[in-house]
Amino acid sequence: MAGDTPEHVLLVSRGMATAVAPDDGITHVQAELLHAITLALTGEDVNYLELEPLGSDELADVLRERDQTYRQRIVHHMVLGELVLRPLPLEVSRRVEVYATAIGVEDRFVRVARRYAMGAYGLAWKDLQRSGFTEHWEQADRSALRATVDVSGPFEGGGADPELEAKWEAFRELPEGSLGRSVWQMYDGRGFALPGSAHGPSPYLAQHDFVHVIADYGTNLKGEVEVFAFLGRADPDPKGFAWLATLIGLFETGYIEDTGFFERDVREHNVRAPGMSTRLADAIARGKAVCEYYETDLFEVDYHELAPRAVEEVREMLGVVPKSAEALASDSPGIFDRAGMSELQRRIADARAGGEA
Amino acid sequence: MRYMNFTQTITVRSEHPEELVKLLDDWDRNQASADIMGYIGTHLLADREDPGSYLIVAEFAVVDPDVSAVDEAARNNDRPETQEWARKLLEVIDGDPAYHHYDELYRTG
Repeated sequence: MAGDTPEHVLLVSRGMATAVAPDDGITHVQAELLHAITLALTGEDVNYLELEPLGSDELADVLRERDQTYRQRIVHHMVLGELVLRPLPLEVSRRVEVYATAIGVEDRFVRVARRYAMGAYGLAWKDLQRSGFTEHWEQADRSALRATVDVSGPFEGGGADPELEAKWEAFRELPEGSLGRSVWQMYDGRGFALPGSAHGPSPYLAQHDFVHVIADYGTNLKGEVEVFAFLGRADPDPKGFAWLATLIGLFETGYIEDTGFFERDVREHNVRAPGMSTRLADAIARGKAVCEYYETDLFEVDYHELAPRAVEEVREMLGVVPKSAEALASDSPGIFDRAGMSELQRRIADARAGGEA
Repeated sequence: MRYMNFTQTITVRSEHPEELVKLLDDWDRNQASADIMGYIGTHLLADREDPGSYLIVAEFAVVDPDVSAVDEAARNNDRPETQEWARKLLEVIDGDPAYHHYDELYRTG
């Protein structure tokens, strides 16, 4: 959407708002999120609470000259606008499908949202898993993970893998400020089990921990929402949207109970929390910049190869731009900021630092 | 607006509950990658007072406000894959299944 005229942005915004609004009007959560995304991606300040409706055929006219990828991203913004609703009205999910069809996009995440609206939460998660993760996993080059035992799925730990654990442990010896040393410090400081150890994460999922360091996002639930919004949008394949859809289901609406890597936690709404729309939107914008520059799914990057390099150098290589002033003003913490840790992580960090509070 | 769901129960006897689980899991996997139908999920319950007796509870919901959940279930019943599933069910149960059909009047949340 960058470089679009204000008139174009306004028309697209009107179409999205019309598609996602429940019968009694767009909700504040939806309006705030779509406003933040529009601002982060286009620089246009659109008030989603005061837009005139725009029909699906009119939106199709507006987007006629746009390529498939652009139109699919617009559909994903609509789906995002749906996924923050619980309950998700059947009419909204049907309308989004009508809009998607009108602009020539057949998208599996539209289908996932429709399943949520029907109450088919279990099927929705199976659909999301398959569409976003499993099919890709089956085709992916997994050599970058450096696992030496068979890993059966993207979220399977695969059991103990001492060679892999030793590789991660060796990051400790790398120079201060290097990617490897920084990710090791992140694990060590929070008491995380290393990949390859008996209770460690799956080597595939551990890829995202390098991105916590590279993109400088915390490891509490809000930080996870940020890092997966970033990762998902950095993926040139639209399937990357599955990450954000999953995190919202886990940490905002509770549509998803357990993924095998995270469990549902909606004690606090992590998307509608103050500042989170801006932080999430900035993560999407930063991910988009990486997508356009590096054109590679960040889960497929060989971080072990990059581990000795300085974090700054890796950021430059991937085209990672700094967080926006708005995201920083909304208190988006960095990877080593206490504010970016969960309460448990803080307690562990304090204990490891000698009991200082 | 809340639409009325529809539930079909199938009471069966079986010495192979693991086969029943697999049958239902395979069905769900296929449904998850198929076009949206009214089917939204299943429970398999084992009767504590009558070992070997199981209750399959299949739920259906409205997809299109102009089509009721019971009609969605009827459409589902007419699909060849549903007929095939019913045939496979007979292979892992003893005797005939007993089908019952219910409209939902209340649900918690």
